[in-house]
Amino acid sequence: MEKVGFAILLDVANEIKHTRVYNYYRRGCSVKNTKQLFAGLILMALGLGTAQADYTLNLMKGVTKVSHDVYDLHMLILWICVLIGVGVFGTMFYSIYHHRKSKGHTAAQFHENTTVEIIWTIIPTLILVGMAIPATKTLMELDDVQDSEMSIKVTGWQWKWEYDYLDNGIHFFSSLDEASNKARQVGSGIDPRSVPHYLLNVDKPLVIPTKKKIRFVFTAADVLHSWWVPDLGWKKDAIPGFINESWTSVDKPGTYRGQCTELCGKDHGFMPIVVVAMDQPEYDAWVKKIKDEAQKGADLSDQGHDELISKGAGVYAKNCSTCHLPDGKGVPGAFPAITGSAVVKGDINAQTTLVLNGKGGMPAFGKMLKADELAQVITYTRNALGNAVGDEIQPKAIQELLPNKSAAPASKPEAKATAPEKIEPIADMATEALVALGKTVYEGNCASCHQAEGQGMAPMFPALTGSAVVKGDMNAQVNLMLNGKGMMPAFGHTLDAKEFAAVVTFTRNSLGNSVKDAIQPSAIQKLQAALPPAQDDE
Amino acid sequence: MSAVIAEHDHHDDDHAHGPEKGLLRWIVTTNHKDIGTLYLVFALTMFFVGGAMAMVIRAELFEPGLQFVEPQFFNSMTTMHALVMVFGAVMPGFVGLANWMIPMMIGAPDMALPRMNNMSFWMLVAGVLLLASTLFMEGGAPASGWTLYPPLVLQTGKALPFAIFSVHLLGISSIMGAINIIATIFNMRAPGMTLMKMPLFVWTWLITAFLLIAVMPVFAGAVTMLLTDKFFETSFFNAAGGGDPVLYQHIFWFFGHPEVYIMILPTFGVASTIIPVFARKPLFGYSSMVYATASIAFLSFIVWAHHMFTVGMPIAGELYFMYATMLIAIPTGVKVFNWTATMWKGSMTFETPMLFSIAFVVLFTLGGFTGLMMSIAPSDFQYHDTYFIVAHFHYTLVPASVFILMAAGYYWLPKWTGHMYNEKIGQLHFWLSAVSVNILFFPQHFLGLAGMPRRIPDYAVQFADWNMISSIGGFIFGASQLLFLYIVIDTVRGGTGEKVSDEVWEDAHKHGLEWTLPSPAPYHTFTTPPTVIPTEHI
Repeated sequence: MEKVGFAILLDVANEIKHTRVYNYYRRGCSVKNTKQLFAGLILMALGLGTAQADYTLNLMKGVTKVSHDVYDLHMLILWICVLIGVGVFGTMFYSIYHHRKSKGHTAAQFHENTTVEIIWTIIPTLILVGMAIPATKTLMELDDVQDSEMSIKVTGWQWKWEYDYLDNGIHFFSSLDEASNKARQVGSGIDPRSVPHYLLNVDKPLVIPTKKKIRFVFTAADVLHSWWVPDLGWKKDAIPGFINESWTSVDKPGTYRGQCTELCGKDHGFMPIVVVAMDQPEYDAWVKKIKDEAQKGADLSDQGHDELISKGAGVYAKNCSTCHLPDGKGVPGAFPAITGSAVVKGDINAQTTLVLNGKGGMPAFGKMLKADELAQVITYTRNALGNAVGDEIQPKAIQELLPNKSAAPASKPEAKATAPEKIEPIADMATEALVALGKTVYEGNCASCHQAEGQGMAPMFPALTGSAVVKGDMNAQVNLMLNGKGMMPAFGHTLDAKEFAAVVTFTRNSLGNSVKDAIQPSAIQKLQAALPPAQDDE
Repeated sequence: MSAVIAEHDHHDDDHAHGPEKGLLRWIVTTNHKDIGTLYLVFALTMFFVGGAMAMVIRAELFEPGLQFVEPQFFNSMTTMHALVMVFGAVMPGFVGLANWMIPMMIGAPDMALPRMNNMSFWMLVAGVLLLASTLFMEGGAPASGWTLYPPLVLQTGKALPFAIFSVHLLGISSIMGAINIIATIFNMRAPGMTLMKMPLFVWTWLITAFLLIAVMPVFAGAVTMLLTDKFFETSFFNAAGGGDPVLYQHIFWFFGHPEVYIMILPTFGVASTIIPVFARKPLFGYSSMVYATASIAFLSFIVWAHHMFTVGMPIAGELYFMYATMLIAIPTGVKVFNWTATMWKGSMTFETPMLFSIAFVVLFTLGGFTGLMMSIAPSDFQYHDTYFIVAHFHYTLVPASVFILMAAGYYWLPKWTGHMYNEKIGQLHFWLSAVSVNILFFPQHFLGLAGMPRRIPDYAVQFADWNMISSIGGFIFGASQLLFLYIVIDTVRGGTGEKVSDEVWEDAHKHGLEWTLPSPAPYHTFTTPPTVIPTEHI
């Protein structure tokens, strides 16, 4: 069922394949002819490219305002360096040519000149100030995640990316596409040049709407990762246990590719990122498609022993063989073997628990795979790869063990879509009533860190009095409180809508702040309904 | 090769204690020249070991697709290549030069603490051998990059505690060496050799020694925290236990940034020693060179987080580290201008040491330019962790530190051995190295800008051409270094057979005390302090 959704994406991607970036990657594949290579070498001899620099020589301009600003900064400083280089090296080579003993030049004996030394200290200082000003401007612009229109949570895993659309609940994993994965094995015999977008293609790309300010929040599940799409103009580290933020706004529909840029283990080079930007109508159609599919969920009907094993082989190849190796032999000292493993040959329920919840470097597959896939792969490991336990587990049994008992753990449960209709909207409250209730909620939930008077505890807990977040856009504040940030827990599931609205209103109108606005419980209800299930936040 | 026999009136007649006979000489020696030789031979050996690892890396990257090694082993190679080159080749290379030359340059009979000198060498050997042994352990050698970032480094197999202990040994060895150098310089200068008359090589090593003492314990502390996180249930870098993985990066780079200057400051010292001799002029701006070195050393302590612009620092932090980093350009610029001014109106000849020194000034400056570009935080969001960075730091290490180690070899070999090296082969070695090092590293700028992350064993096909060129450059560079090995062995065994004078290079006795000694330098020198202090270098 995921394949259907992806086929739609490919269609869209095909429609836009004449965009510049798409062409860049195609052209990249074909820079094989010697003429271009020769031209490149000449450019290299001339220094770092020319005004019409080829993309394989210079930084790419990208497709956002920020990426253009960064490109301009890059070019500015590059040219300053070229000028200084021409001056210094010109002087040096003039001297090397003329002031040589073989030409009969006798050495002068000067060894200092205060004026010259002061000049060549002050002029570089001024140049640096000239560079610092535009750099500061761009940095501040990039830092400002306020007023974003949607948020996407990006989680790095060894070795795939997880995307959570915080506003509409779409959730999926994105990993290296099958063609690249086959070709990249040692001694695969497949020519990488025959694989389209070798190592830069994924099974499910991240789809975003164009012309919207999108806020990304980054975290990681195991080790450090870094999310980089050069066309967006920045990269940001994904750190386990911490949240980072950045934003983008893409004007032009297109497919933009990047890679993980923080060493994250053996398959660091094999977890690409593909972002597909679509105009709003196409994006909306994509959202609808994905949601429809999600509702179909897992197939919970019983399957025959052999069917489980044969389907399990595919699940194993896609999800397990990277670490445990295709033959199940594992990597001694790093990844245990499946063949002859005490876990696999032992109690099936113990193995299932381990697979669902993870252990050490092993990720929790309970949230990545569907019940039927889990049943298949567990049965497979017990009856293949040199093991012959002879038992099996059915999707239904797995479903019972999954924390989220909906049919589709990897996407939104059906209940979510209907939730807002079932819940009676809470009646609006007066600002004063909200503030009064909010005070109690604040004392119970916030004061231990942010302190009774909202003064916070530097440097760990920011003050709320005068806080830019509290005095800024209310939606941004609500978003932060729903989802948490850094050490701040996500309150989206802890507080009910009334308490939540009350405490937001309280912080904005008390503790020395007077923004004079309020949010109603009914608005929070809607947002809470769209939140990912509680266990996702842990 | 114009060498004029100069007068020298203090031959040392006190040769009462010669070296031990046989192999034992090299194990128990406390003679600074013997220990210097041990360090230099060890550094050269490790240069080839680390170089062999680089050849593995470049062979795998020659073409897209995985041909030779598994990704995990590739990561071990990049990690070990860096650790071996930094701690086994470049640092010991300069310690070897310090051992040989500092006593001879300041008119001292030996190092201040000769027994500790012996111990610090053999601890270095133990440390590097222990590190190399991890290659054969279950789970392989460390593969998390030389920065050893957690949580990834904690996934290392059996090798982790051994690698950490090896870092401890290397740290103790470096600290002992540094104490020895400081004690020697402060206590054993000949009468009249005031601080501001010391050759710049001695000055730069004095400052480097202080950097070593300040930062090696910090690194030891960081890796010890890794050890307790892994084996003793602490959570310094584990968010789940209240720790912070980014804390490690702060500690590491507080060590790491001064560490890279530990490798470059003595380089500056040797260049400032060689260039005036072959320009037949005093060094331009001696005191500004001293102050610039001290400024660079000071700045190295307050710029560390420019290695971490993408970890999600607050904007104030990013701005501060950007401005502070830009400042480094000023003292570094002063140095480059001073070297250029030293050549200006000189009477230059271009023997191999001078050729390597000029190449150093030019190519190090290129590395400085890219360093300046990277200091601009918003641009660094694009450059960070790409091949642009790889190109940058290799330009500041290979055609800088390594070239200068070569230059020093050619410059002092006649003094050490009493034989002249083969100038023709020396120049061939220079031209092959200088051309191939650029074929090797210059295209890596393009790769990084075009979007190729570092530390990946395989890449998208649009990066293929420049990778192939870079690998070809790498193979030529690697093979060329065998010429250096040949020259060293040939020179030790008699070289050209030409009788070298005491000053070896024309008028060198005006530039440094070592050229007033016989060639080869006797086992014991300056048992009575010299009375005339050369001042041509200041």
